[in-house]
Amino acid sequence: MSTYVLMKILESSASRYDWGIRFLTFGRLNAIYDDLVSYVNKGQHVLDLGCGTGALTLRAARKGAFLKGIDVNAEMLEIARKRVEAENLANRVVLSEMGVAELDGEPAESYDIVMSGLCFSELTEDERVYSLKQIRRILKAEGLFLMADEIVPENWAERIFVQVIRIPLVLLTYLLTQTTTHPLKNPADQIKSEGFSIEASQRSFPGDFIRIVARKI
Amino acid sequence: MSFFYDVLVETGGTLFRFAPLPQKTGWIKIGNPDENSPVFLTCNFRLTVSRVKRALKGLDGYLLIANSRGINVWCAATGGLLTNHDVISVLKTSGIEKMVNHRRVILPQLAATGIETQVIQKKTDWKVLWGPVYAKEIPEFILKNFHKTSQMRQVSFPFSQRLEMALAWAFPMSAAAAALAFFLWKSAVLPLVLLIWVIAFLIFGAFPIYRRFLHPEGKRIGFIIFDFGRGGFQLLLLAFFLLGVSVYAYYWRELTGAFLLRWGVASLIVILTISLDLMGSTPVFKSGLHEDRLLKITLDREKCLGAAFCETVCPMNCFEIDFLKRKASIPDAEKCVQCGACIVQCPFDALYFRSPNNEMIPPEAIRRFKLNLMGKRLVKV
Repeated sequence: MSTYVLMKILESSASRYDWGIRFLTFGRLNAIYDDLVSYVNKGQHVLDLGCGTGALTLRAARKGAFLKGIDVNAEMLEIARKRVEAENLANRVVLSEMGVAELDGEPAESYDIVMSGLCFSELTEDERVYSLKQIRRILKAEGLFLMADEIVPENWAERIFVQVIRIPLVLLTYLLTQTTTHPLKNPADQIKSEGFSIEASQRSFPGDFIRIVARKI
Repeated sequence: MSFFYDVLVETGGTLFRFAPLPQKTGWIKIGNPDENSPVFLTCNFRLTVSRVKRALKGLDGYLLIANSRGINVWCAATGGLLTNHDVISVLKTSGIEKMVNHRRVILPQLAATGIETQVIQKKTDWKVLWGPVYAKEIPEFILKNFHKTSQMRQVSFPFSQRLEMALAWAFPMSAAAAALAFFLWKSAVLPLVLLIWVIAFLIFGAFPIYRRFLHPEGKRIGFIIFDFGRGGFQLLLLAFFLLGVSVYAYYWRELTGAFLLRWGVASLIVILTISLDLMGSTPVFKSGLHEDRLLKITLDREKCLGAAFCETVCPMNCFEIDFLKRKASIPDAEKCVQCGACIVQCPFDALYFRSPNNEMIPPEAIRRFKLNLMGKRLVKV
């Protein structure tokens, strides 16, 4: 839903982020994240870009994978850390305050899966290109890149529908936090051009959200 | 072409000064740079970028535009929207490392509230140099071989900036008032717009006159509505206006109580709205709405080894360094605007804030928790 812009209000108070996002997405995001994590298997090494309060990280860790979650927001990470401890997953999860620009510090071919939920739309264009190159480098051969994010719908009717809902929310979010989200245009094409094959790409109604499974080639 | 673009950005950016106006991040060329040319960094507020470009005219160099979410350097850095991560990111992902063979970047001094030199230098090969507050001083800063004079460090509120703030208030406020009056009180649309513009220009124009009566250390912590403890200035302005309205009514139409009351109330509302956060609308005071205005900058002389970073980044020139004894002191502590830049930059953690009830706010808290719109340090978890 276009209500993702309201995330910004929630981000300004990390502790309210989780219930807020559930409320705003009518639980839809949970279903998408569950689906994304179905590709994760026990014992795999997984990197979560922009892990926030740990929505994807915790799901994958519960399945028995070894996780590294990175985020630039120290407060969200602190919440993630508490949740990891509460579920006794600390032996399988490493959380680190770092941005995608520091991915060059990760060893080459060291991850089975890199995943990212609602993170790419927060990045600048330069950061997206840089991240994709780094993701390809740190993934093992035929490793998977899983992404779920907000997009600009392809179909013009959907675009208008989404904008009508979105504009008042954007204004409200702007007023309260002076920030907004930037839905992605054609992320699948960009991922493909950086040396991945698209295994699955699924848009959800009304075309403003995408789930992509890409494989390193 | 670029002239019209500049005019458009200046006008739009000034009239909607309070709204973010982002632009693409990355690097742009200034003049004809080569691999030895200096690298400057600024925010991605379109108005700022356009002004920095004009200020750098005649120089050769690269200008990095970091992601500050379309907000100006000082507000973004202090509010946690221009962070270490954003600077590291533009240094490493923009491709600037291929363009120059040195690793020295000049940051705007006002970014020192949010960007930590030590973190940047630890996580990248880049060395950070604090430039002047205002971009227009950069050519002289370079002529002086990267030496900053105390004038280059000082934040001021000259007439041009006061004019800008008056415009930034008057335009959206009069537009909203006109739209509202169009439906409710049609004949008042034009006078109302005029009233708002005149009051906005009076309030910001007269700033040097009443500046010494502003009370940054209002007694209550938290939400104080007006910056004048006793409302003196607002009442004076209101009286002045009522006098004007009476004179107008006396000569041009019938002077009635209802007429006076209507315009009296209207001007009172306008005056109160514009002066709601008068101190926060200037760069030389902490916002009256921010709790931080009550904090006192404190120096632990034992820890201080005279690195002088505080002196370099203080926008009010509060510090003095004794280079023989290698110690800083704060002779002008009462000028402090609680921006926190000195605390963030001190390599020895020798500076910290003290609250009115004598609590110590450690440097880690200032580095980590940034101010939100209401001036509260974002929740500690």
